[in-house]
Amino acid sequence: MTRVRVTAPRSMAPRGTALTAARSAAASREAAEESDAGQVFVRSLIRSQLRLALVVAGGFLLILVAFALVLGLVPGLAESTIAGLPFNWVLLGAGIYPVTGLSAWLYIRTAARNEARYRDLVGDK
Amino acid sequence: MNPVVGIAAFVAVSLATAAFGFYGLRISRTTGDFYVASRTVRPWWNASAIGGEYLSAASFLGVAGLILLSGTDALWFPVGYTAGYLMLLLFVAAPLRRSGAYTIPDFTEARLDSRAARRVTSLVVVMVGWLYIVPQLHGAALAIRITTGLPAWVGQVAVVAVVCFTVIAGGMRSITFVQAFQYWLKLTALAVPILFILFMLASNGTPAAADAAVNPTGAPAAGPYQTISLLVALLFGTLGLPHVLVRFYTNPDGQSARRTTLIVLGLLSVFYLLPTAYGLTGRTFAPGLAQSGQADALVLLLPGRMVGGMAGDLLSALVVAGAFAAFLSTTSGLVVSLAGVISQDLLGGSVRGFRWAALISALVPLGIASMTDSLALAGSVGLVFAFTASTICPVLLLGIWWRGLTDAGAIAGMVTGGVLCGGAMVAGSVLGAAGTPSWLALPAAWTVPAAFAVMVLVSRATRDRVPRTITRLMTRLHTPERPLATER
Repeated sequence: MTRVRVTAPRSMAPRGTALTAARSAAASREAAEESDAGQVFVRSLIRSQLRLALVVAGGFLLILVAFALVLGLVPGLAESTIAGLPFNWVLLGAGIYPVTGLSAWLYIRTAARNEARYRDLVGDK
Repeated sequence: MNPVVGIAAFVAVSLATAAFGFYGLRISRTTGDFYVASRTVRPWWNASAIGGEYLSAASFLGVAGLILLSGTDALWFPVGYTAGYLMLLLFVAAPLRRSGAYTIPDFTEARLDSRAARRVTSLVVVMVGWLYIVPQLHGAALAIRITTGLPAWVGQVAVVAVVCFTVIAGGMRSITFVQAFQYWLKLTALAVPILFILFMLASNGTPAAADAAVNPTGAPAAGPYQTISLLVALLFGTLGLPHVLVRFYTNPDGQSARRTTLIVLGLLSVFYLLPTAYGLTGRTFAPGLAQSGQADALVLLLPGRMVGGMAGDLLSALVVAGAFAAFLSTTSGLVVSLAGVISQDLLGGSVRGFRWAALISALVPLGIASMTDSLALAGSVGLVFAFTASTICPVLLLGIWWRGLTDAGAIAGMVTGGVLCGGAMVAGSVLGAAGTPSWLALPAAWTVPAAFAVMVLVSRATRDRVPRTITRLMTRLHTPERPLATER
């Protein structure tokens, strides 16, 4: 295969290897993404992913603060028990993990959905 | 404790580790194999390996010890260690994988287009790694001393020797198998004895936790500042840990990096119930350990104390094996990632260079560990988290999400965070545990914002240094991979 000259608006120098078919397809996709129209989609994807991450992180931190406040402000938690274990230990020692897992699962689902929407927009098959 | 038990457990774990290392020797041939296991590790394997690597001496021994000492205040440690992975998932996992970089310095160089930023990052990564290996070796010293009565340095040297052999023999491919195996070993080693103890207590009719509110040392409760600063360090420190991040490069694509992180969260959540149970049981039935300054050995001593006889010896052997798995896996993970950084920057990136770099990365902390004394394990690892949260974390977060970050800003921020947090650590060790005010003992609450602020302000002032490749890079970091053209 002969060397193909890359004419896409690359800002980095292309590597000195021969381009395979897959690579030139990738290069043309990069070119499309770096055009002004492509960048509108890219920027909106980045914004929605960042917003999603911040919302999930903020929600999780709020729950964490709520746990801390309950532990600190509600009297008598250390005396009440669940199945023989003190309530404050159960709350902090086991109760936060399901919240963490649920937040992570929600995030992954929504992030994948954002990416699928982006694929649709740029016409990736 | 019967010294034969401890020695037998250590030898068994070392042999198993070495066997996996040898198995890896036969299938890793190329430089790519050594560095990132050719990026084809399945999410379950990878997640087990991350769990194996992450659950260090601090998690295996330190958390239970700290819970014994300070009760519910210490429960924030496992919460923070786990929630750190949530932050990693939200802000770093997929973009970092898509960056295609091998190491954190690779990432900063690609993002900032600057050799200088790369060198500063390499320096920080090496410091973090060494700081993190030292408490592992302290843990090994403690375990050897408590379980066999041998001098403490034997444990440190043995751990370093096994790690060097495994890493030099097989590189990351075998390390992945070793780490995955060690997660499950650690889980079993903690779960079986504590379940045995709990069933025994239940059948004796003893209430599971009669007076957990008892405070064995009479230490004051942590104030809001301590809790907040600890959580800042743990939440943001995890996403800067070099040995954890290097694992993400072994995922095939960004979405599988996310799935891996989700599995890791599950594995950690299950694991951390166990040290909590040890701490609670220890607080109820063995508060004497806290007064005699042996809190970190609680996990090792509890099965023997509660059960006794032959069964007690067997359970102790299991726990000791798990503890050594913890020292070995975290140390070898750190040595691999440090060796990757050192060999790429100093030794030309060859397999031979990687082996030399591995030796250097293990021997320096051995020297430091043999010259210093063990602090509370969970506390000293918490300080390392504060250090990464003030240095590597801001570079990653701003580099991934903010187009305006420049090389000058990144360097200024890392230096600020490193100097402030490093200074606090040095001041803390000079003043001693009793004389250190809490804002110096837990510095993350002010060093992390300071590093972020300096990074943003200097980047704004050097706006013209934003690399010209930024558009292409942000596109690469955040857009999903195509199904076929994954490697370019």
